[in-house]
Amino acid sequence: MEKSKWPPGDLVIWIFIMAELLVFGIFFAAYAFTRANHVELFNTYQATLDRNAALINTLALITSSYFVVRAVAAIKMDDSRKCFQWLLAALFMGLVFLLVKGIEYQHHFSQGISLSTNTFYMFYLSMTFFHFLHVILGMVILIAVALKARAGGYSARQHDGVETGASYWHMVDLVWMVLFPLVYVMN
Amino acid sequence: MAIKDKYLIRPCTWIFLLLMGLTVVTWFIGVNQFSGLQISLMALGIALLKGQLIGDYFMGLRQVSGFWRWAVAIWLLLIGSLIGYAFYMSAQS
Repeated sequence: MEKSKWPPGDLVIWIFIMAELLVFGIFFAAYAFTRANHVELFNTYQATLDRNAALINTLALITSSYFVVRAVAAIKMDDSRKCFQWLLAALFMGLVFLLVKGIEYQHHFSQGISLSTNTFYMFYLSMTFFHFLHVILGMVILIAVALKARAGGYSARQHDGVETGASYWHMVDLVWMVLFPLVYVMN
Repeated sequence: MAIKDKYLIRPCTWIFLLLMGLTVVTWFIGVNQFSGLQISLMALGIALLKGQLIGDYFMGLRQVSGFWRWAVAIWLLLIGSLIGYAFYMSAQS
């Protein structure tokens, strides 16, 4: 297969994705270097996090991303109906992520934990909530793409919109792949 | 059509299963509270590998040439180096 000079979807989304990756990268580096000065504190409070919930969320995001890959493959085959169905399935997995993360937050807040509790929780809550907002934005984009797909707005020849939404959603997944071990596992 | 369909979907299904498996390995490390520099670097390495697989197969960057082919890989390399260095520093002190 001949290689393209440009990534799938609209180039503007890729510039946006790179900007997002830069911001998350700064967050990750700040977490790691701050932790270097507070190793005991970070290890102690990291142990209070629910790793099973993090596992469910990681599997949900990967599955969702895979469903989006299938949606793109479907529209390349000119199958708008299947594209719509795969996108719906992806959105459902996104919803699972939001629900599990919401339960985690509720648990923390019920224990009186907030941004000002300590440095670890400041990073944990701000980084995961920043990502949480990106999941919501990604779902809004996928809903718009799914509705257009259902209306027959995409075809095998013209499906830039599907690839644009898919690229953003994969970025949300990509960021979580680093966030999960960094915050929940590495100590 | 069948050949094209196979080409588009099957590698991604394998990658999906691999990503799920690698995630369970990371969770296993975390839930058993394995710790230390080597363990942390292993978890980080798995994360970087997963990121590269998502970039290559899900985002479709392996079908792209030039800067965009390596955009995600460069990001992963940069943050991986910074995080790895920070954990190395904390293990030395």
